Amino acid sequence: MNTSWFVVLSAFIFCVGATGVMSRRSPLVVLLCLELMLNAGNLALVAFARMLGNEEGQIFALIVVVVAACEVVIGLGIIVGMFRRRLPIDVDQMTELRG
Amino acid sequence: MNATGYGWLVLGAPLVGMLIIALGWRVLPGRSAGWLGSASIGISFLASVGMLIELVDRPEESRALVGTAYTYVETAGFRADLSILVDPLSVFMCLVVSGVSFLIHLYSISYMTSDQGFARFFAYLNFFVFSMLLLILAANFVLLLVGWAFVGAASYLLISFWYRRGTATAAGIKAFVINVIGDVGLVIGAFLLFDATGALDYASIFAAAPEVFARNDAQLVGACLMILVGAFAKSAQLPLHTWLPDAMEGPTPVSALIHAATMVTAGVYLIARCHPLFELAPIAADVSAILGTATLIFAASVAMTATDLKRVIAYSTMSQIGYMILGVSVAAYGAGLFHLMTHAFFKALLFMGAGSVIAAMGGIQSLDRMGGFRKAMPFTFVTFTIGALALAGFPLFAGFFSKDEILAYALERGGGYAVLGIVGYIAALLTAFYAGRMVFRVFFGLSVPEADELAKGHLAHGSHANPATGEEEDTDVGFPGSEHHVAEREWPMKLAMAPLALLAVVAGVLGIPGVTETLEHFLEPTFEDSRFAEVHPTAAAEWVGLAAGGLVAIIGLGAAFLYFMRDPGRRVATRERFAGVHRVLINKWYFDEIFDHAIVRPVAASGRFGRSVVESAFVQGVLVGGTVGVVRAGTSLARSIQTGELRSYAALLLVGVSALILYFLIVSS
Amino acid sequence: MPTVHLSIVVFLPLAAAVLAAFLPARVGRWLVVAATVGVLGYAVAMIADYEPGTTGLKYVTDDNWISELGVRYQLGVDGLNLFLIALTALLWVPSTIWGALRSGSGARAIDDRAALLPPERPRLFMFHMALAETAVLGAFCAQDLALFVVFFDLMLVPFYFLIGGWGEGDRVRATTAFVIYTLVGSLLMLAGAIALGVLSAGDAEVSFSFAVLEQRTLGEGTQQWIFCLFAAAFLVKAPLFPLHGWVVDTYRATPVAVLVLLSAVLSKVGVYGFLRIVLPILPDASAYFQDLMLVLAVVSILYGSVLAFSQSEPRLVVAYSSIAQLGFVVLGIFSLTDIGAQGALMQMVNHGLVVGPLFFIIAVLTARAGGSPTLEQMGGMALRAPVLAALFLVITLATLAMPGSPNFVGEILILFGAFEDKFVFGVIGAVGVALAAVYMIRVFQLSMHNRVGPGAEPGEARVLELVAIAPVTLVVVALGVYPQLVLDRTEGATAAKVQPAATVAGGQPTGAQDEAAEVAP
Repeated sequence: MNTSWFVVLSAFIFCVGATGVMSRRSPLVVLLCLELMLNAGNLALVAFARMLGNEEGQIFALIVVVVAACEVVIGLGIIVGMFRRRLPIDVDQMTELRG
Repeated sequence: MNATGYGWLVLGAPLVGMLIIALGWRVLPGRSAGWLGSASIGISFLASVGMLIELVDRPEESRALVGTAYTYVETAGFRADLSILVDPLSVFMCLVVSGVSFLIHLYSISYMTSDQGFARFFAYLNFFVFSMLLLILAANFVLLLVGWAFVGAASYLLISFWYRRGTATAAGIKAFVINVIGDVGLVIGAFLLFDATGALDYASIFAAAPEVFARNDAQLVGACLMILVGAFAKSAQLPLHTWLPDAMEGPTPVSALIHAATMVTAGVYLIARCHPLFELAPIAADVSAILGTATLIFAASVAMTATDLKRVIAYSTMSQIGYMILGVSVAAYGAGLFHLMTHAFFKALLFMGAGSVIAAMGGIQSLDRMGGFRKAMPFTFVTFTIGALALAGFPLFAGFFSKDEILAYALERGGGYAVLGIVGYIAALLTAFYAGRMVFRVFFGLSVPEADELAKGHLAHGSHANPATGEEEDTDVGFPGSEHHVAEREWPMKLAMAPLALLAVVAGVLGIPGVTETLEHFLEPTFEDSRFAEVHPTAAAEWVGLAAGGLVAIIGLGAAFLYFMRDPGRRVATRERFAGVHRVLINKWYFDEIFDHAIVRPVAASGRFGRSVVESAFVQGVLVGGTVGVVRAGTSLARSIQTGELRSYAALLLVGVSALILYFLIVSS
Repeated sequence: MPTVHLSIVVFLPLAAAVLAAFLPARVGRWLVVAATVGVLGYAVAMIADYEPGTTGLKYVTDDNWISELGVRYQLGVDGLNLFLIALTALLWVPSTIWGALRSGSGARAIDDRAALLPPERPRLFMFHMALAETAVLGAFCAQDLALFVVFFDLMLVPFYFLIGGWGEGDRVRATTAFVIYTLVGSLLMLAGAIALGVLSAGDAEVSFSFAVLEQRTLGEGTQQWIFCLFAAAFLVKAPLFPLHGWVVDTYRATPVAVLVLLSAVLSKVGVYGFLRIVLPILPDASAYFQDLMLVLAVVSILYGSVLAFSQSEPRLVVAYSSIAQLGFVVLGIFSLTDIGAQGALMQMVNHGLVVGPLFFIIAVLTARAGGSPTLEQMGGMALRAPVLAALFLVITLATLAMPGSPNFVGEILILFGAFEDKFVFGVIGAVGVALAAVYMIRVFQLSMHNRVGPGAEPGEARVLELVAIAPVTLVVVALGVYPQLVLDRTEGATAAKVQPAATVAGGQPTGAQDEAAEVAP
């Protein structure tokens, strides 16, 4: 199989995820799209691992999965907390970190 | 014990006395603080006598001894040790200062008995005597400055002793500030001498001066003029004299001690001590003589019209110090210092008597309200009259011999000095006049109610109001007790005043021209290097001068008698006829107003200007505001990126990363 | 006497503070106080161990730090910083005690007034105080320029928090202005320091150590702009006219314990920098800018004095008085004479000693006057308060440099130094002495004498207040009796520091070439 197809697919998924992050208002969906971007990167890593024949890419993809999981936990925790406090679940209204 | 050992004892006793009273006043019973203070000064006096005996034992050539305790400052060529100089001049001054101080301490024990701040008073008084003795015994300019400044500080504390009174505290500040001006002058003068001679102690400077300085060398004249600034500030001579009349706000013993007998004579002492320098710079000596003469006639003129009894005596002091300054400036050192001694006696006596009279008046000091105390206060009357006669220079009293000797010297030197001498005689006429004025107005004439009551045996109580302004007193700590004390009833006061009265009569015996010149001979070793040591009026010339002086005194007293006793209405008539002159004199020739407009107001205005214009507009506005503003602007520019919106961050991130990747792609290809 | 390890002296307070962070607040703050007392003990031991007439550094610590940049970790004590270290140690003790106070049992209403309350968040307060002491001690002990700059900038951090967090009134604005102003100067100094290290190296290895830098020479032009950069930082720190704008707001807002340290110690780091760094390493520039610096000094003296006696708050009177006093110090330093520099160093110590008790006394008076800081509200405070009045009088007389106080010795040495070559400047400085008398006595009088002010309740000083005020006053009196204690030990060091600049000012070049000459073949 030509590696290029996988890389193109990975790029496509990445762009879909990026567009989602930039254009959706719900933080849950933003998190979802972030997952998309991360997994696109995973796909590229695994494809190149297979192309080069060593395991380094695969190991790195596993690490990325772990990091993604941790990050999702924290993100979801924040969203649940916001929900509990009845704050609006809207990315445009979360501007407390304004300078 | 040798002479310097006695010298340290002279210094140590008042210091220890002050510390004991200051630290232990809560545990000292009753009035023992006063006795303790007096005892320490008594020890000081006895030690001075010891110094005298030791010194006289030595041959004349070796009568200048220096004792050093330790090195006070030594760095980079600047050296000042803690050392004292024992020579005839300093021993003489110590005797006068400690002796008169002791008597005034005795006087104060009963005068201040009912004052709440009794212990504080004696602590301050002991501190003052210590400072004065330190000033006299110092062997270098640095220690002199220490004593000089301590005396100023003690004077401030004692003038504003009743610190709840606005007038007293204002007077205290005025005295202190003028004193500091004098200190600064002394520092500059000391530097000019140090620069040329490389030393700060008297012995080295006076030895090096003839070699280093030409006659009337500019630097030496400058140094002497700066020394004069210091001397005149301390001795209340023109133009730094405005503090002395206001200093009468202090309790009467303070006026007696500081502003008659000791502190104000420090300037005279300084000029006498620095006589080698003044003789090498005659310009400075002439300036001193002229200003001294100007002061003596100015003060005598004001004393003629002043209505506050203590202020009359204060101006009289100013005037007499002018005589002393004139004396030491025309190289009549023995005469000048002789007058210093006799003046201490009779002026302290006058103040003590005045204190007694004011006590009888219940705190009122105005001459207009006094009269006829002769019968009610015989002792005070006698002593006060003795003092006044000595002041006037009545024949055979102490003042007669001392004051006129100065004038005889001035006339002997001739030229401009003779003019100054004539002015001195005119002032002597005025002196006799106002001395008589005091006596006749207070003790003769119609009896005022207070006098009548006292004659019956009842002493007036003080009122709770400031006599000067009528302001209601705060009758807590630091208020003169409403109980007043007159000499007739208090034996310590009598014990203090009697010896002074005796001395005011007989002290002249120390300087009878041609017969006994004890004082001059004693002081000779200090002044033998004077260029004018040989200039000495003949005994005959002196007797002529004395006779003229005595005549002037009698005329003056007679005129006073006519004015105040024979024809009381004449006084009012004269005042109306010379209303303009009278106004000038009553307002002290407007010196206070001149200084206020020339110095005080501009400085205060510059302070306000500084605050409003420079501070707020320039410094705060431009410099601080500018810097902070620039930084703020920069940071707000940076802040505008922090919108807090997630999506804009994400967009920025994406754009930035893409740009970087594109850059590296392009560059690497 | 074994060698004192200076690192211990410098870092002891910080170590104690870190430890105290883990202990309960009650115990922790006294641990920090104990550390400051320990540093004081070390300082006294160092003074006792110092032989008069010693030259060169003692207790040297010299380790490699960042060898790639030529920065070494170098600490050392000589006559120049010996007494400044002691001053720091001495003043930190009452400040930390004051800050560690608890309102004891049975505190009466008057004790609740602002000056005497214990601070909130005591552990954090103590931590910042300790960090500040470490930074200041480090700045004084440092013998390497980069290390000095590090500590100099580090000093600012705890003060920012102390003033901003525990201050009074408009504290945030005041501390922001203070920090920005000082930082701008510090950053300029950083640039200058780096330039100095790099440019002076030439072909040799870059080094920031003072000893090495003093041996190297720089071109005159280079020296001049580096001088300006350093001067910017030090003049803001001092403060001198016209870079003193931060003073008024900051002195108003700072809590008393911190204000004492700010005024007494922090300001000295600036002028110490002149003596330690600028004069020996940049002698040609020092001589070139001598007149300008003297003008600034004299203007500061007059400006500070004139403004001091038109103020109605005693804190601001002392603030402007500090400007004037530091003007005197700079006058002494830039007279470029031995005697002037000695006087300046002595006056640094004296001013610090005097200003500490002064601010504490003013805090006590403010508390007695019902929290109002203006002189109109005070008055007649000497009533039934003889000890307080006596201490205040002694301190007032010392501040106005009355002969008999150590300040007089410092001032007369400065004036004599100024008179030597720059007579007019000296005379104007002497006028400043007279003005000082006026404003100090005015403060004493308006607060202690006359009638009791409208809001005032006179009362004797409490024991805890006396603990802060009396010991330092006694040190002042003792120094007044024997000032030679300081002068003996500082003479060698100051002479060495001033000598290069003095020779240039006297007309002989030290060997620095003109930049034009460098270019010519």
